[in-house]
Amino acid sequence: MSTTPRISSAIPGEPAQFGNGLAHQPAIAESFGELYAAFWGSDVLSARLKEVARMRNARVTECGFCRNVRFDKAVGQGLGEEIVDDIDWGYETSDRLSDAEKAVLKFTDAVIHDPELLTGDAKAALQRHLSPEQIAELGLGLTLFLALAKALITMGLEPEAMDRTVLPTPAPVLVEAGPA
Amino acid sequence: MSGPVTEALGNGTSAGSDLGVKYAKFRDASHAALGETMTAQIRHAVARVHGLENAPGDTAPIEAPPEDAAWLAYARRMPFEHTAITDEEAAAVVAELGEERYVAFSVVAALADAECRAAHVDLPGLTA
Repeated sequence: MSTTPRISSAIPGEPAQFGNGLAHQPAIAESFGELYAAFWGSDVLSARLKEVARMRNARVTECGFCRNVRFDKAVGQGLGEEIVDDIDWGYETSDRLSDAEKAVLKFTDAVIHDPELLTGDAKAALQRHLSPEQIAELGLGLTLFLALAKALITMGLEPEAMDRTVLPTPAPVLVEAGPA
Repeated sequence: MSGPVTEALGNGTSAGSDLGVKYAKFRDASHAALGETMTAQIRHAVARVHGLENAPGDTAPIEAPPEDAAWLAYARRMPFEHTAITDEEAAAVVAELGEERYVAFSVVAALADAECRAAHVDLPGLTA
């Protein structure tokens, strides 16, 4: 994995990062920003459950940028660092994660890692805790988390070092920061 | 415009429908940046790595891609080897496509991978 940018910034004078790299394709950048803001703005699925899935994706895809970003809406819904710490291998035995969060994590692993993990029990748990509308929104989120994390990583736009950073929950302007 | 994510969102509420429209806009913009032929070739290559005959929702015949293209080999590594792609491999694709199209290529390949994964867990079936 490279932390040397494989593309330049589309904005002269700026160091390459995800936002100004994606800006080489303005229509893609704009439409992603609109979509990501609408996704996080929808409350069909709570921001906390979305963030649980996003943090899991960050760990599994090895997206350091994503892993160090926190969105304030989820923090405000009680997703503290002690809970995030449990979103790791072995999360099934966590005392801090709820059953709904564990069901979301199992589904996340099935999508981004191995579909065989969506056993009958895992599927039943997901559908017990989430409505079809919530599962659809989670599916969209996982698609975006995974795809944009991989795009960021493969374009060499991972930061060499990054502190944990709490950001306002995405709005179009956050496209300049990255997919997280 | 189809695929498991769009289909799942279409099964949902008006909120899902709005997200579906916006997802379609993002997906279409990504595909348009590369053109229909190359997008289909990338999606097909990624789908085959996932053991699928075609990318989810794709039904049109695929024009055979240039087997010696650096971008084709790169696309095939996106599903399971994204962290192993080297600077040299990336530079070869940038040289073939140019920087702007390489950005679109990265999004299209990664999105194809994610849609194949959504198909593998039958996302639409879970939301029906």
